[in-house]
Order: sequence, then C-alpha cells, then structure tokens
Amino acid sequence: MKLFAKYNRINIVATMLVFVAGCVAFYFVLRYVLLRQLDESLRTEQTEILFYIKEHNQLPEVVSDAYNQRITYTEIKGPLPPVTYFSEKYWDAKENEQEWERKLVFGITAAGKNYRATVTKSQMETEDLLQMVIIIGAGMLALIMLAGYVINSIVIKRLWKPFYKTIQEVEQYQLAKQQPIQLPASGISEFDLLNQRLTSMTEKAQRDYTVVKEFSANAAHEMQTPLAVIQSNTEALIQDEQVLQKHNTSIQTIEQSVARLTRLNQALLLLARIENRQFLLNETIQFDAIVKQRVEELMELTASEKINFQLQLTPVAVAFNHHLADIIVSNLLNNAIRYNKEGGTIIVELTPERFTISNTSVLPALETGKLTSRFYRHPNTKPDGNGLGLSIVNQVCEMAGYVLHYAYVNGLHVFSIALKTA
Amino acid sequence: MKILIIEDEPSLNKAMVDYLNHQQYLCESVNNYHDALEKTEYYQYDCIVLDLMLPGGNGLDLLKELKANQKNDGVIIISARNELDDKLSGLQLGADDYLTKPFHLPELSARIAAIIRRKSLQGNNIIRFEELQVDVLAKTVSVLNKEITLTRKEYELLLYFLVNKNRVLSKNAIATHLWGDDADITDNHDFIYTHVKNLRKKLIQYGAGDYIRSVYGMGYKFSVK
Repeated sequence: MKLFAKYNRINIVATMLVFVAGCVAFYFVLRYVLLRQLDESLRTEQTEILFYIKEHNQLPEVVSDAYNQRITYTEIKGPLPPVTYFSEKYWDAKENEQEWERKLVFGITAAGKNYRATVTKSQMETEDLLQMVIIIGAGMLALIMLAGYVINSIVIKRLWKPFYKTIQEVEQYQLAKQQPIQLPASGISEFDLLNQRLTSMTEKAQRDYTVVKEFSANAAHEMQTPLAVIQSNTEALIQDEQVLQKHNTSIQTIEQSVARLTRLNQALLLLARIENRQFLLNETIQFDAIVKQRVEELMELTASEKINFQLQLTPVAVAFNHHLADIIVSNLLNNAIRYNKEGGTIIVELTPERFTISNTSVLPALETGKLTSRFYRHPNTKPDGNGLGLSIVNQVCEMAGYVLHYAYVNGLHVFSIALKTA
Repeated sequence: MKILIIEDEPSLNKAMVDYLNHQQYLCESVNNYHDALEKTEYYQYDCIVLDLMLPGGNGLDLLKELKANQKNDGVIIISARNELDDKLSGLQLGADDYLTKPFHLPELSARIAAIIRRKSLQGNNIIRFEELQVDVLAKTVSVLNKEITLTRKEYELLLYFLVNKNRVLSKNAIATHLWGDDADITDNHDFIYTHVKNLRKKLIQYGAGDYIRSVYGMGYKFSVK
C-alpha cells in the first residue's frame, strides 16, 4: 500500500467520524433550539388565553388552524393538570404520513369550570429545517472529502516525484561502473537529506570497492616477485644432483605448487584487469580463425587422450579484442578438454550469432547458479583447475555485452556465447 | 658473452647470476637504478636483464637512456607486472623480449641466447654440440653434417636443451617452454616423455651420442656423459 493511500485511509475515516459526530451534535443542539422557539410561541398563546380568560371570564373562541395551530379545551372534573410540553406523533391525512406536533397542556378555570387546554403546533417546519441542515452537512462532508482527495493526489504525486527519481537512480546504479550516483536537488529537505545520505553512502561504497579491487590486484602483483624467488631458487637447487637424489619428491611438489600459484595469480590479475576495463573492444577480429588456431594447438597437446574434435565454423568477424577472444576460446576449450573423458567428443560450432562448445564429460550436469562463481569447482574434479576459468569467461562476456549460457543436453555439457556481430 | 642483471630482489638476482654463470656467460649484477645507469654508460653488454620496478627509478627510463645513447645492448625485461601496456611500451622502446615473473631460469637462458644470436653481427646462427649442428636461421639440424628431420616441437626441445646444456631441466620448465600457458591443461608429463624419447631415438639413429638422460623423475639433462 502506498504511503499516500495509507495516510488517506486514516484521514478519511477520521474526517468521517468527526463529521458524523459533529452532525449528530449539531442535530441535537439545533433541535433543542428550534423546540425551545416552538415552545416559546406556544407559551405566548397560553399567555394570551389566560389574559383573555382573566378579562372575560370565559373561554376564547377557537379559531381553527390559525397560524398552523390548534387549540382545544376539554372540561375536566379533577384538579387542574400541570403545565407540560411534549411532542407527539399524529397521522397527517393530507400528506399521508406520520408527522410530529408539539403540544402545550395546561389547566384553566373559566366561569367556574375546570378545563384542560391544549395548544398544538405542527413540528413539520422544524423537522424540515433539520433535514435540510443534515443534507447540507452531509453534502459538504462529501465535497470536502472529494476535493481533499483530488488535491492530495495531484499535489502528493508532484511532491513525491523527487523520491521516485531517486529510487530510479539507485536502481540503475552499478558499483562496477565507477560512476558516482547523480541525484538532483529537490528543494524538499527530507528528500534532499535522503539524496545526500545516498550520495555519501555510494561514494563510500565506491571507495571501498576500489580499495578492495586494487588490493587484490596489488596483492597478486606483490606475490609475483616472491614466486619468482621460490621458482628460481628451486631451479638452482635441482642443479645439484645430490640434493635432487635425496629430495626429488619434495622439490617436485614445490615446483608444481609454485606453478599452480603462478597460474592462479595470473588469473586473478586478469580478472582485475577485465574488471578495471583495461581492454579496448575496438579491434575487428576474425573469430573463426582464432577458434581454429586454438583448436589445432590443443589437438596436438591432447593427442594421447584420443578426443574427437568436430568443428563447424562459419567465418565471423566481430568488434572485440584479440587477446580477450583468445582467452574465452582457450578457457572454454581448456575446460572441455580437462573435464572430458578418454575417447570423448568436443563439438565446436561458430555461427554469426553464437559460439558453442559441447563436450562429453565424466561430470554430471552442473549447477548453473554456481558455475561462474569464483573458485567454484565441481566436487568430483581433480584439484588442477583453479576455478576461475569460467568466471573469467563470464566477466569478459559481461564487459562485451555477450551472454554466456550453459545447458546439459543428451549427456553433453553445452556452453554457448551469444555474440553481437559487427 | 657479458650479461648485466638489473634486479633489486637479492635472492632472485643471485639465482639468475648463478644460473647464467654456469652457462658460460659473464654476469655482472646491480640492484638499483643509479648503479644500472652507471654500468650501462661505461660498459657494453651482450644482453641486459632488466627489472622494471627498481629503487631509484623505472626500468623503462633506463631503456630510453640506452636508446638515446645509441647503445646496441640486447635487453630482456623481467617484470612482475603482466600488463600488456608495459609489454608494448617496453618493446616499443627497444627491448628485445619481455618475461613475466615468475619465470623458469632455463627459459630466461633460452631467451637470452636467442637475443644474442639475433644481435650478433657475424651471422652466428649455427649452434654446435659435439657432432650436432643446428642452424637457427634455417631451422635445420644435422648430425655429422647429415641433415635430419625433426618435428617442430622436437626442434624446439633440442634447441632448449642445447642452450641449457649440462643443466637439469624440470618437466614443468620444458612444458612451459613448449606449450606456454596451455601446459597445465593435460597431464603433460607423459607427453614430454614421448617427445624426449622420440628426439633421443632420432639423434641416436642418425649417429649422434646419447646425450639426454632422465634425472630422478624430476626432469632431463642434456650433456656429454
């Protein structure tokens, strides 16, 4: 529910309650006043009657229905009734409905006889007036609420505009793009405060992000020299055949670990460079030639594993970067080879729309969600890969606006990249 | 053959000097920009091994100085930064090769040998070892003056052995030399074994001595027994 709708709901209910209470109170007050007025005119009549009797010692003549009032005298035997005012219902034959009338009953003595005098006035006018007041009140309530709603919705929509603008900006904001968030001043202090806080928050996030990114790149750089020291000293060590004879397993382990660490380091550096957009995508490259060359090189290397390569390449030229194209082709092919089985198959297809590598494997279908996360390796794999290959491919694709897709079809792991061709 | 090593990391510097001294090179070494500048001004070297990040200055500036002074020393850059820009600007400034740390010492030795061969004015393109003769320009190998046929990888392997003769070459170093970054894709040790076996067989078959031997499962050594 929108803030305004929620506010409106409360507001309308409260307004209605106040108005209804007000109307009820108004009704009773007004009714009381009007009845008092009516009673006043009844009393005037009584005074006149009493005055007449005092003068003439006889009942006045009854004028029927004068001033919308009736006067009746009834002879009574008992004592004089007390003066009472009251309202009573009667059947109005003319209007064919029940009407209220106001009565004043008092006792009089004329010519030695006791009478009960009743002065009756129609209450219809009072009721009509009350009705009008209520209708006007309700009408005003409805009008005020309607006007309030319309004004609010127009004004509030305009007032909230900067807020939605901010939301839109935040939605489009990407830390990796390295651009500060742009939030225009709205002139409303609450929104300006929000914008200000958001701006400083993103600036801080940006700084932290840069620090972390630079840290990983710097850390990887700094590791290169110690690695070189270990490697060269290990190589110096193996020149001593007596040492080698004694420790060849340890030395081999050191050598292999250094090699692995070196590859890992280089992969991390490459990732950092791709993230920092240090590659320009302005070369027109012959994608099929790159694929063909890589496949040929790798075929020689994997001859002993009897992997069956099937190539279906159409000439494709794309605006890309030669080095990056080489990296994604290599990484995908490397995986296809590394996780293949002896006598397996690798199908490489290239069309202007799509680059696809399908391969048989000892591994079952992979979890799509984890595939491109860094350092993820399928639990059944040998620890020779570093779990960064697909992350790198994915990162390159993201930068170039390509889409990497994985599927497991008929026992084949299918990796495809949707290309934007030049 | 005189070589100048410019590297500020002492133990790496020493390892390079030791290795290259064994290769019949005459090595001198410095560990900062100032000393390097002085040495290169006064002496001529066949090859300079240049680290880029040095105390007191950048290796690329040293390279500019060399070129400004019309020096013709061969230069191989060794850098911890595997940045394409550095590589390109280094090569544009006149460096002959670029090697990223960490590297294998035999690889450095092979690259230096290649630079020296290219630079030498006497057309010194023949490498001889006993009855073996390799023409690096024509890329031909002959045994007892009879040309033999090798595959491309076998030729590269032989050349690598020859410039690193009498040294133990680890399988890793060989794999990296022959296949570069692809070396880790498959279990390449069997593959190296096959290549070494074939090369050895061919050389013996054509009448050369048996110079390649396996060293404790670690690697191979090319030497006269």
